[in-house]
Amino acid sequence: MRTIVCVLALIACTDRVLAQHADIPRTRAGKPDLSGIWQALNEADWNVEPHVAVQGATEMLGAIGAVAPGIGVVDGGAIPYLPSALSQRDANRSHRRTEDPEAKCFLPGVPRATYLPYPFQIVQSDTGIMIVYEFAGAVRTINMKSPGEAPVDSWMGVSNGHWEGDTLVVEVSGLNANWLDRSGNYASEARRVTERYTVTDADHIRYEATIDDPSLFSRPWTLRMPLYRRVEPGARLMDFRCVEFAEELMYGDLRKPGADKAASDKPAAGPGK
Amino acid sequence: MAMQRHASSSRFVATLLLLLALATSAGAAEKYKAPRTSWGDPLIEGVYTNNTNVPFERPVDLGDKAFYSEQEYEVRSKAPAVVETTTTVTDVHYQTADFGLDPDQSQMVKNLRTSILTRPANGRMPPLRPDAQRRSDAARAAQQAHAFDSAQNRPLQERCLLWAHEGPPLRPVGYNTLVQLAQTRGYVVLLTEMIHDARVIPLAKSRPDFGGLTRWQGNSWGHWEGDTLVIETTGISDRVTPRGSSVPMGPEGKVIERITRTGPKSIRYEFTVSDPSLWDVPWGGEFPMELSDQPLFEYACHEGNYGLPNTLRGIREEEKTRNRGPRQ
Amino acid sequence: MPHHVKRPVSVLLAALGLALGSEGVSAHHSFAAEFDINKPVELRGKVVQLELINPHSWIHLEVTDPNGVKTLWMVEGGSPNALFRKGITKNSIPVGTEIVVVGYQARDGANRVVGRTLKLANGQSLFFYAAPLPSGAE
Repeated sequence: MRTIVCVLALIACTDRVLAQHADIPRTRAGKPDLSGIWQALNEADWNVEPHVAVQGATEMLGAIGAVAPGIGVVDGGAIPYLPSALSQRDANRSHRRTEDPEAKCFLPGVPRATYLPYPFQIVQSDTGIMIVYEFAGAVRTINMKSPGEAPVDSWMGVSNGHWEGDTLVVEVSGLNANWLDRSGNYASEARRVTERYTVTDADHIRYEATIDDPSLFSRPWTLRMPLYRRVEPGARLMDFRCVEFAEELMYGDLRKPGADKAASDKPAAGPGK
Repeated sequence: MAMQRHASSSRFVATLLLLLALATSAGAAEKYKAPRTSWGDPLIEGVYTNNTNVPFERPVDLGDKAFYSEQEYEVRSKAPAVVETTTTVTDVHYQTADFGLDPDQSQMVKNLRTSILTRPANGRMPPLRPDAQRRSDAARAAQQAHAFDSAQNRPLQERCLLWAHEGPPLRPVGYNTLVQLAQTRGYVVLLTEMIHDARVIPLAKSRPDFGGLTRWQGNSWGHWEGDTLVIETTGISDRVTPRGSSVPMGPEGKVIERITRTGPKSIRYEFTVSDPSLWDVPWGGEFPMELSDQPLFEYACHEGNYGLPNTLRGIREEEKTRNRGPRQ
Repeated sequence: MPHHVKRPVSVLLAALGLALGSEGVSAHHSFAAEFDINKPVELRGKVVQLELINPHSWIHLEVTDPNGVKTLWMVEGGSPNALFRKGITKNSIPVGTEIVVVGYQARDGANRVVGRTLKLANGQSLFFYAAPLPSGAE
């Protein structure tokens, strides 16, 4: 009888363990393997809060430039701004056509880089993790061994990672102030972001980012979303060097009066091209 | 008689053993066996520097001399600092040494070569084909006529789009000359510090289908030949011009890079560039890289690029002055 | 302390086989187009902001003239990444530090200079606190 109980217990335990370990890719060391090309599939970059469809930053693009509706990705719905922080958000929103860092092709920072509507690639090795983003060639290295601190703030910050069970926890600090979406939601350089990446099955990651910024928010708040693996054959990051698409916006007023816009920036074509 | 024979055969054996030992150690130095990643690829990860005083092209007077001797290298390394006493037109510049940007203010990788370029044998770039030279001259003249018309007329480097040393092929650039290599199963990533461009290189048995599209740094794919990573790149965008040319590479342009770990802290980087529309011969070279004793930091270029609009403002202001004519 | 090597930029770059004006570390940005060699400037002021950014650092100075009028100037310098590798951080040069800048002013007449030399008031190099240069070296 005892033997049967022991065997049943053993089967139950193993089954539990197998269920935990089923279906997710792992490294040789047994850690979840996040390697691959991923992308968020939501409207968070338009506005992380729940929102209806509204006119975009310019009517000139018609419906293509409109803010698509979204159910929101913020825990609890609304960002807990301090009252003193709202006027900057509103100012951002009214000037977003020229002031949105994404429009200017600035490095998007954390967490916005994760939910831009473009793919990114996680490169996980035995010793570290690098994340390469298609937009603006943003890139960051997650220090898995020796946590570092930034000598100055930077656009993509300093990322220190460790495992909590099967969840990769990344503490990000030393970030420049940046926007969180195209609607003017923003965070300061004082923010600390804690990301959690949990592989839920072979093609999905559960992503959470908690933003702690007492200068702007009354409490830390969290946004969460699934990340989807780009499974199509030939999936790869492409060049999105968007600087050239931002130059007219940023420097168009400095063009030589009378200069031919179409003639700029083309190498002379030779025969046979 | 027997004793003499014994002595000479002992010497013979000793000499043989010595030669064998030398051959083995020389062979061993060449055939360092890199440790492996957990999925079995040679391990080349790390942050490396390729900082050097070796010029890209060999000084003409050195001819085919490919290496300095150790002694010559020592003398070169200790060249006395030249204290500046005159101001020249080119001195509208900050002091690089004030910012630690002189090459000898950073970890230097020892290299006895007289040039990065090793092919052609004289260590100098081959000339462009005459027809390519004509096209290049015409393109350069056309660009210079409109050099300051707008942001889009400025060089790619000034616009923070792409810097020439990032390649491919890579080359040492004088400062911030760090490169990070990252690996995962099926990919190698080559990240230059300046200007934060990460080349994600898929590993494959043959060239993947890139859909007929070009890329700023080309379409690269890699495979391992023993302990050497061989990267082939084609399809470099026509927005980019290679060294020595003001016109882009043609459809047959190709760059081959070979990365081999040569020791616990060192790597050899070799490259070959070929394009029959531009040069009659391929050109290439190599340089060593060493694990950096310092980390790589973000080099966000465009976000802090005040210089570009400032330059345009300056030229626009000058044009107004010129248009106004001489002041009375 | 790093060995403070001082040599003309043009000589150094020539030694590296790079020529000013063609490709090379300084040619990503034509300083001669942005600043005017015929507008030399010497400024003495207090640091109000230190932008340790790329591609160029910017030091914001408050300069007080003999009448007590304060003006803001911006001084362009080099990439700070090598400084970071030598331990410099955003806290290394406190706000209020007095510095002396010799440089050239912007072509458009704005209060902007490229800092030819950057020194503390006592003559030491701003970031490296090296010994003062031998007399006559300037």
